[in-house]
Amino acid sequence: MIPFSRGVRLVVTLELEQRVRGIAVYVLLGLFTLLVAITTVLLWRVDEGSGSGGFLFSTIVYFVLLLGTLLAPALSGAAVNGDRDAGTLATTQVTLVSTTQIVLGKFLASWFTSLAFLVVSLPFLIVSFALGGVPARTVVASLLVLLAELAVVSAVGVGLSAIITRPLFSVAATYLVVAALSVGTLIAFGLGGAAVQTEVRSTSVYIDPETYPEDGSTEAPTCLPPEVYTYQAPRFDLVWGVLAANPYVVLADAGSGEFDASGYPNDLFGQVALLVRGAQVPPETEITYNECEDFTGGYSGEDTATAEETWNSTTPSWFVGLAAHVLIGAGLLWWGIARTRTPAGRLPRGQRIA
Amino acid sequence: MSQTPQVAAPPAIPGAGGIVVNGLRRSFGDVRAVRDITFEARPGRVTALIGPNGAGKTTLLLMLATLLTPDAGTISVGGHDPVTSPSAVRRVMGWMPDALGSWNALSVRRAIEVTALLYGMTTERARERADELLSLVSLESLAQAPTRALSRGQKQRLSLARALVHDPSVLLLDEPASGLDPAARVALRELVRGLARDGRTVLVSSHVLAELEELADDAVYVEGGASVSAERLARAGAAARPWRIRSIDPAHLSWSIADLGVPTADVSTIGDAVLLPFASDDEAASFLAELVRRGVRVTAFAPAIGDFERTFQGLGDVDGAA
Repeated sequence: MIPFSRGVRLVVTLELEQRVRGIAVYVLLGLFTLLVAITTVLLWRVDEGSGSGGFLFSTIVYFVLLLGTLLAPALSGAAVNGDRDAGTLATTQVTLVSTTQIVLGKFLASWFTSLAFLVVSLPFLIVSFALGGVPARTVVASLLVLLAELAVVSAVGVGLSAIITRPLFSVAATYLVVAALSVGTLIAFGLGGAAVQTEVRSTSVYIDPETYPEDGSTEAPTCLPPEVYTYQAPRFDLVWGVLAANPYVVLADAGSGEFDASGYPNDLFGQVALLVRGAQVPPETEITYNECEDFTGGYSGEDTATAEETWNSTTPSWFVGLAAHVLIGAGLLWWGIARTRTPAGRLPRGQRIA
Repeated sequence: MSQTPQVAAPPAIPGAGGIVVNGLRRSFGDVRAVRDITFEARPGRVTALIGPNGAGKTTLLLMLATLLTPDAGTISVGGHDPVTSPSAVRRVMGWMPDALGSWNALSVRRAIEVTALLYGMTTERARERADELLSLVSLESLAQAPTRALSRGQKQRLSLARALVHDPSVLLLDEPASGLDPAARVALRELVRGLARDGRTVLVSSHVLAELEELADDAVYVEGGASVSAERLARAGAAARPWRIRSIDPAHLSWSIADLGVPTADVSTIGDAVLLPFASDDEAASFLAELVRRGVRVTAFAPAIGDFERTFQGLGDVDGAA
């Protein structure tokens, strides 16, 4: 056997030479650069006022995640079964590299390719960082999570391409996994929250308009009897965990935590993450509005929590989501390796090994 | 070139190189691709694997090439078991598949180099080996061309070069000559004969029997997933085969054949040649002597088909008679 890392390196080199070629990738990279450049210019104007590059930085990182997850399935989703169709898989398998080395090499090659989008966006990321206001913690955390998420998509693609016989289906299945995580979690969250509802009792005590005091009068107004009505409120606090599996939420939850002086998030990560954090708070089931008391006792103005307070009182979830993604990716890779191992015992119907 | 059926040869010492296959079986779902194959291919000889399409030749080769596990039976390739120690087999075995896959974005030279690297050679050694093999299979002029630009025959030669990269002692060639022009065919024959002369075991599958006739020392016949028994081979080998006769005076030849009492139903004419079946070489020789005695000026008198083909066709006849 060839030493493990050397074998993997050989396969990576071969993949990059063989698969990732042609002008298509460069055209895409060019378009992507243009898109990021336009965004940079537009957001620059927004951020200039705030003196912070936070929005610019987070938007570019989101772009890289979006483009990466849209392209990685196309790059990786036919890695193994495409080679089988082309008749090059078996000729590689009879050499001294192992199936594990072949599949892992293909995964790494696909990951590196999707990282090209990160590389071309680096100048823009540096610009946004130079604008200030982007803490090093955000940069490190969000880039690490971005790397991990792109790796997960590549792993899912390569794994499925080893499990599913037809390249077309494995590419489609990879897109479905990406869509399920990116969009499906949102739908599940919305529907789940609406399906589980809770009754909210709202009690209101109003002042009799007849006795509404004139300005300057100290005479106590007559209070009307309390009006009680009930309605249903969705319980997003019970299903927020679904959102934790969303890659955009993972990225946001890991990358944010910075607030401006008035307690508002100063980047896109913070805004997205806050939506999820806010969903963790259960709805109040008893709501009282007492106009009468407010009038006599003076408006106490029940303090609504600021963004920062909500943030600090809720649970971070990014590591759970990320761990789930890594588990899915690693599991599919492992399954793919098991299915591709030679000498092969079981073959799916209609599959030719060569 | 001796072309004895392999069953007549003395058995090789098990595990001493070569290929030894015993009672091999493999099914895909309900399809029993290989039912019962037993044979031996010995070092220093070219063994032909003969059988009609769908006889199980490629499935057998996939099992020998460590890609497929058998359901039952034992295999030894170069003294190693492909199921329990595939990497030991891969080290000594070169496989040329029937599917002509190549990394189509790579140049011919690079494709060979990469294969050498995948066999664990150093970069330097891989480069040397690519040079050697490019000249061995006469692809030097195309060394820089991407492999997708190759013709079928050229791809075939690249595939052979790849199979030879690590100088294997056992070679499995699946339909190596299909798509080759006559000159390349002759070159391939010389190459394969040379490889066998150096002591390698070569197993060649093909259904073009004329081609194997010139290439192989021994033959293994496979039919419906099973190797054909020695007894049936002997019977089939004894079956009648057509001989081709040409003469300067075709009219005289036809007349003489009729006069010698050959039924007209047995006589067929292809171009200027007459085809006549003879049950044995002895009978054919006597007939030739008779023609010459009658003054027929014979220019050609030879079997129209080779030994492999006669046996192959004989197998069909034996089945038909049974």
